Amino acid sequence: MKIVKIIALALLIAFVGIQFIPTTRNQSDVVLKTDFMLVNDVPESIHKKLQVSCYDCHSNNTAYPWYNKVQPIAWFLEDHIKEGKSELNFSEWDNYSNRRKKSKLKSIISQIKDEEMPLSSYTLIHGNAKLSESEKELIIKWIDNLRDSL
Amino acid sequence: MKKLKVTTGILAIVFIVLSVTSCKDNKKEHNNKDGHHTEMKSDDHSKMDHDNSDGHHDNQSSKKESRTIEGNVQKNAATSPIIDAYIQIKNGLVADSKEITAKGGMVLLVAFSKFDMTALKGDTHKEYMEILESAKEQAEHVVKSPIDHQREHFETLSTDVNDLIALLGTEKTLYQDFCPMANNNKGAYWLSEVKEIKNPYFGAKMMKCGSVKKQIN
Repeated sequence: MKIVKIIALALLIAFVGIQFIPTTRNQSDVVLKTDFMLVNDVPESIHKKLQVSCYDCHSNNTAYPWYNKVQPIAWFLEDHIKEGKSELNFSEWDNYSNRRKKSKLKSIISQIKDEEMPLSSYTLIHGNAKLSESEKELIIKWIDNLRDSL
Repeated sequence: MKKLKVTTGILAIVFIVLSVTSCKDNKKEHNNKDGHHTEMKSDDHSKMDHDNSDGHHDNQSSKKESRTIEGNVQKNAATSPIIDAYIQIKNGLVADSKEITAKGGMVLLVAFSKFDMTALKGDTHKEYMEILESAKEQAEHVVKSPIDHQREHFETLSTDVNDLIALLGTEKTLYQDFCPMANNNKGAYWLSEVKEIKNPYFGAKMMKCGSVKKQIN
């Protein structure tokens, strides 16, 4: 019994301790004029959904509700942001060549269709990032149109 | 009694730490929100500017349809390693082999890194760079993805290699094939070194699906 308590105490201390380790925040004060939302004429409903479901890891600006700042969630997020932005950064959308835009849009569609994005580990803690069937359909259709128009 | 004190003490520490961090963060969030407002305003301007900016025109000019290859293209041996690697990926997919396909992806990355682009000038160079950027990205995914994704990236890669040949030429004899069922029934092209149809988008499932659209060289 005593051991359990000691372990619990150690874990608690560790949990408190890691809160002091600083993480880099993915936040920027400017919305670049290359941003996906500024370059394209995005309908309000899709704008909102992309912002909530994608922009946290795929733009220069992550929303940080309190639970995103608690370790180890913040670390988990930091990693994903780094990787996410290297794959696709909506903030720098217009810097992509037309060729790459098309391939990015194609990948966006297939990722959403296959339910690989948004990451299930992410929607677990960030429930409103989840996409319903109708939302998925709406986004896919719109992105598909955009892709054809490029 | 002592235990109780210790527990309360720990709880107090946790509470303080959490509230300190969240306070700090609240402030930050607030700042950010304010910043955001001004941003949006200034962005309206930049959006208008943007419409007239050169960047926009540039984009328009690069907004061409993907290139079409003429039957007889410029004879160019320099592109052969790239095409060979692409064919290796294609054959990996035909054989439904994730491993062979992934290996082809590696070979393609090497081929691109060895390609001498010093002779390319101006627009040709610019377009080559765009193709390179995209093709490399596709190849990287081909290396690390499951086969379904390999096929998706192969589709984009096929456009890239097609355009590369239209831009720089090849000395190889190739067949441009088309499968109407690929790309969610929108259809997709691929290039093959053999005349017989062997479908890389479906593999064994639909080996014969598709037709030769064009012979190169």
